[in-house]
Amino acid sequence: MNGAHDMGGMHGFGPIAPEPDEPVFHAAWERRVFALTVATGFGGEWNIDMGRFARESTDPAIYLRSTYYEKWLHGLQHLLIERGHVSEAEIEQRMAQLAAREEGGKA
Amino acid sequence: MRVLQRENVQEVLRVGDSARVASDAPARFKPGDAVRTRNFHPPGHTRLPRYARAKRGVVAISHGVFVFPDTHAATGDKKPQHLYSVQFTMRELWGEGASDIDTVHIDLFDDYLEPA
Amino acid sequence: MAHDHHHHDDEHEHAALPDTLLRTKALESLLTEKGLVDPRALDELIDTYEHRVGPKNGARVVARAWVDPQFKAHLLADGTDAIKQFGFDGRQGKDMVVVENTPQVHNMVVCTLCSCYPWPVLGLPPVWYKSSPYRSRAVIDPRGVLAEFGVTLPATVEVKVWDSTAEVRYLVLPMRPEGSETLSEEQLAELVTRDSMIGTGLPRAPGTAV
Repeated sequence: MNGAHDMGGMHGFGPIAPEPDEPVFHAAWERRVFALTVATGFGGEWNIDMGRFARESTDPAIYLRSTYYEKWLHGLQHLLIERGHVSEAEIEQRMAQLAAREEGGKA
Repeated sequence: MRVLQRENVQEVLRVGDSARVASDAPARFKPGDAVRTRNFHPPGHTRLPRYARAKRGVVAISHGVFVFPDTHAATGDKKPQHLYSVQFTMRELWGEGASDIDTVHIDLFDDYLEPA
Repeated sequence: MAHDHHHHDDEHEHAALPDTLLRTKALESLLTEKGLVDPRALDELIDTYEHRVGPKNGARVVARAWVDPQFKAHLLADGTDAIKQFGFDGRQGKDMVVVENTPQVHNMVVCTLCSCYPWPVLGLPPVWYKSSPYRSRAVIDPRGVLAEFGVTLPATVEVKVWDSTAEVRYLVLPMRPEGSETLSEEQLAELVTRDSMIGTGLPRAPGTAV
C-alpha cells in the first residue's frame, strides 16, 4: 500500500541525531511490547508479512508521530482485535481498572 | 493460538523465520540482466517501494526462491518465486542533480520485474 | 493531582504517552489472563535481546574475516553458512549477505519500509535506524547521512545503499584499520563498531579510546 511507511526519498524529517550508547529499550513498556509481539507472532495466526501490513495500516498521521514501539503496539492491537482475541472495549476497560488501582495506591 | 512457552524460546528463536523455499522454479532473470520495475500501486502489502516503481536497473545478485510477501500477507499464499538484488543508479531514481556514482540496491521479486 | 512520580522507573515510564503505558499493561494483563501468552516466555525473550545478543557478535565475525582470508572468502560467498558455522544463527538473520567495503566501494544498509536488521549478529536496531530521518534519507542522500555520522568519503568512492526490502539481511564488512597489523583477533573485534557494520560509521583506529 502507498502508506506513510513507504518513506524512501521523503523530505522534511530533520536530523538523524543518533543517541550515543543508547540502551536496547528506553522504557519497561517497550520491553513488554517487543516481547508480546514476538511471542504472539509465533502463535500461528498471522505471518510476518501480515504483521508488517498491520503496522503499515495504521492511520498515517498516527504512524508518523508514533515512536517505534508505539508503531508495534498499534500493529499488535490491530492483529489481535481483527482475530477476536481482545476488543477495544475490553482494553479500555482494563486500562480504566489499572488506572484506578494506581490512583488508589497513591492515596 | 499456539502459546510460546519459556522452555521453547531459545529453540524457537534459533529455528527462526527463514522465508527461503526449496524450489526448482526457473529464475526469470540472472545477474547482469537489465530490468524495469512495474508501475503498480497495490492497496495491500508490497515490498516494492514507491521510489523504485517504473525504474530501470540491473540484476546484481540472484538470491534464490523466497516466499512472496504480497500474497503471503493478503491470504497466506506463499507463491514462492525468485528474489534478486537489483542495482539502480541514483540518477535513475532521483533524476536531476543526483549523484552519478552512487547506487541503491533493492531486493525485488520476479513479480515486480519486467525485462528492460 | 498531588503526587505524580515516585520512583525513578516511573519517571522514564511517564515520558511515553500515558495511554501507551496503560494500554501495554492492559494488553499484557488481558492476554495473560486469557492464556494467550506465557509471561515467563516474555521475560526470556526480553533477556535474550537485551543482554545476550548484540553487535559484539558481528564484531567477532568481522575480526575473523580480517585475520583469516579463507573465512573471509566464505563469508562473502555464503554469508548465511559462514556466520552460522561461526556460531550465530536465528530469527531475522537466517539469510545473510555480507557486503565488503573496499577503497572503491562503501556500503550502507537501511530498511526504508520498516526496520529490517540482522538480529543474530547486531542485536536489535538502534532508534535512529528505525526512525523516519534515516529511513527517508539513506536512499536519496547517503553522503548527507554519512556526514551526519562524521564520515566523509572521496567523490570517487561509490556509495552502495542496500534497502532491505525482503528477508535477506545485510552485514557490512568494514575495511581493516591501518596500523592494526599487530593486534590480536580479540583486539581487532574491539575496533569494530555497530555503525561500521551498518555502514554509517568506520571502525575505530587502533589505540583510540572506546
